[in-house]
Amino acid sequence: MAKIRVIFESGEPERIIEFDPADAPFHHDGEPGSILDVLLGNRIHLEHACGGNCACTTCHVIVKSGFNKLSESSEQEEDLLDKAPGLTPTSRLACQAVIDDPDAEIVVVIPRYTINQISEGGAKPEP
Amino acid sequence: MADPETPATPPPRRPLYRARIDRMRDHNADTRSLFLRIIDGGQLAFVPGQFISISLPLEHETRVRPYTIASSPEQTDTIEVCFNQVPGGEGVRYLFERKVGDELQFTGPFGAFAMDRSPEHECVFIAEGTAIAPIRPMIRRMLASGARPALSLLYAAPDSNHLLYRDEIAQWSAAGVNFAPLLAPPAKLYDRLAAETQRRWVDADSDRSRHFYVCGVGKGVLRLRDLLRGAGYERRAVHYEQW
Repeated sequence: MAKIRVIFESGEPERIIEFDPADAPFHHDGEPGSILDVLLGNRIHLEHACGGNCACTTCHVIVKSGFNKLSESSEQEEDLLDKAPGLTPTSRLACQAVIDDPDAEIVVVIPRYTINQISEGGAKPEP
Repeated sequence: MADPETPATPPPRRPLYRARIDRMRDHNADTRSLFLRIIDGGQLAFVPGQFISISLPLEHETRVRPYTIASSPEQTDTIEVCFNQVPGGEGVRYLFERKVGDELQFTGPFGAFAMDRSPEHECVFIAEGTAIAPIRPMIRRMLASGARPALSLLYAAPDSNHLLYRDEIAQWSAAGVNFAPLLAPPAKLYDRLAAETQRRWVDADSDRSRHFYVCGVGKGVLRLRDLLRGAGYERRAVHYEQW
């Protein structure tokens, strides 16, 4: 069984998920077997404003361990990560980083708050 | 493993806007715009090209799906989102069933395919069908700015009814935008777009200072990206969004 340990910068208790990559997809958003897919399938919310279509960076995660066990990032993902706040050398978009090794052990950090890459003025939402 | 039938309902972590459908516009038989007015007079600050994520309370779960903002940030009364029917698209079906006066909830804005400032060099916009939506506020903003570079728009659709905002595009043409419509069957759309891009902006000259904004559906967008970057345009001058 593959394993993902999820650490939340927000301070929420960490989670450990064990899963069989062969059972993917686990949800309907993101690439099948991606970190996003696995988390959503285990009822762990991770923002993905574009629906997991590799069109934003709200599912940005930092991979602390097991980076080499993930699928390679595409040019499209790299282009988006370029614009991600808090980018690190082991940043990935959770909707694109696929785990297909059944023995993979991955540790990811969910940043405290994914901010918008580009903003203009101040939004005035409903409180 | 959680029961896959038990969906993860995402708790909203961002400000959630409530909006009412102020009016609708049917562009053709399968393409519609909704004009959303934020309840209590709030406004959404966004950059041309960005999208909002609308909560869609479907039968078994609430899904969040992105819809590009087709209106301009300067238009503060309503936000326009434009979409078309797609086979099996539950979210779009839900939106098509809405009526004027219905309420929707959304978060945003999001997205990096955005023009926060006008490039100094010639800009080329390439789109197909509803993917004109993010490009429309970009061109509007550039036209409204005083000194602006040359603008070109290559816009493709299967037929003229699916070339949206035709009246407005005619005004853009009159204002100097080099507009080229392209009609082709869906299966040939990106072949034709690639051929036209190759002819006009790769083979025609050696100028590689242009900026490109490409938006569309499917891998054809990436093909255009690769064509342009492979021809020598700078990576960061080739902006694209693939849905």
